[in-house]
Amino acid sequence: FIAWLLKKMKKSLVSINSRLQLIMKSGKYVLGYKQTLKVIRQGKVKLVMLANNCPTLRKSKIGYCAMLAKTGVRYYSGNNIELDTVCRKYCRVCDSDIIRSMPDRLVKSK
Amino acid sequence: MGKFMKPGKVVLVLAGCYSGCKAIMVKNIDDGTSDRPYSHALVAGIDCYPRKLTAAMGKKKIAKRSKIKSFVKVYNHSHLMPTRYSVDIPLDKTVINKGVFRGPALKHKTQQEAKVEFEERYKTGKNKWFFQKLWF
Repeated sequence: FIAWLLKKMKKSLVSINSRLQLIMKSGKYVLGYKQTLKVIRQGKVKLVMLANNCPTLRKSKIGYCAMLAKTGVRYYSGNNIELDTVCRKYCRVCDSDIIRSMPDRLVKSK
Repeated sequence: MGKFMKPGKVVLVLAGCYSGCKAIMVKNIDDGTSDRPYSHALVAGIDCYPRKLTAAMGKKKIAKRSKIKSFVKVYNHSHLMPTRYSVDIPLDKTVINKGVFRGPALKHKTQQEAKVEFEERYKTGKNKWFFQKLWF
C-alpha cells in the first residue's frame, strides 16, 4: 500500500514538473520572493508555487497576499533546489510565482 | 487575478518612522509617476492610537484618552502590508492629496483634517480593529 502511495505521489510530482517546464518554456512567470509580491500586488498572477522549505513567515505572507488577490497558491512537494532544477536555473528558487499566459491548457490538465 | 490595493483599504506600514501603524489608503498610483517611478500610495494613518478606556473614567479623562494623532504620507507599495480590512471614512480628497507635501503648514492642516475624521469614527465605535494598536 505504501509503495503504491509513494508511486502515486511520485507520479503527480512528475506531472507537476512537466507542467512547470512547459511554463518555463512558453509561459510567463516570475521567480523570487520580492518579484512575486510585486506581481501579486499588481494583480497579474494566476498561480503561485512555493517550495516546501520556504520559511513559514514568508509562506504566510505570500499566502495572505494571494488570498487578497484571490490567486491560488500551490505547495510544491520538493525542496527549493529541486524547484530550481525543474526551472532549469542555476540558482536556488525559493518561491516561484508563475503567471500563466496560457491558462486553459494548463489549468484543465491539472 | 484581483487588484486589491484600492482606496479605503487598511494597510500596515512596514518601513519608516510610522512602521507598525495602521493606515488607510487614500489614493493609489499603480504605475508610478516621473518622480516616483514605482507603484505607490498616499495613506492617512494613525500615529498615536487612542488609549484604553474603562467604565470608571470620567468624561474629561475619556476625552483626553480618545485623542488620535494622525499622519499623511506617500509610501512605496512594498513598504505597505495590505490587510483584508477596509474602512470607508470619507477622507476629503481635495484636502488630502499629494500636493500637501510641499510645505509643513499645508501638511499640518491635512493631518488635522485626517485626525478629525478618525476621531469622529472612533467615537461611533465602528471599525474597532483600525483603532487598536498592533501588538508585536
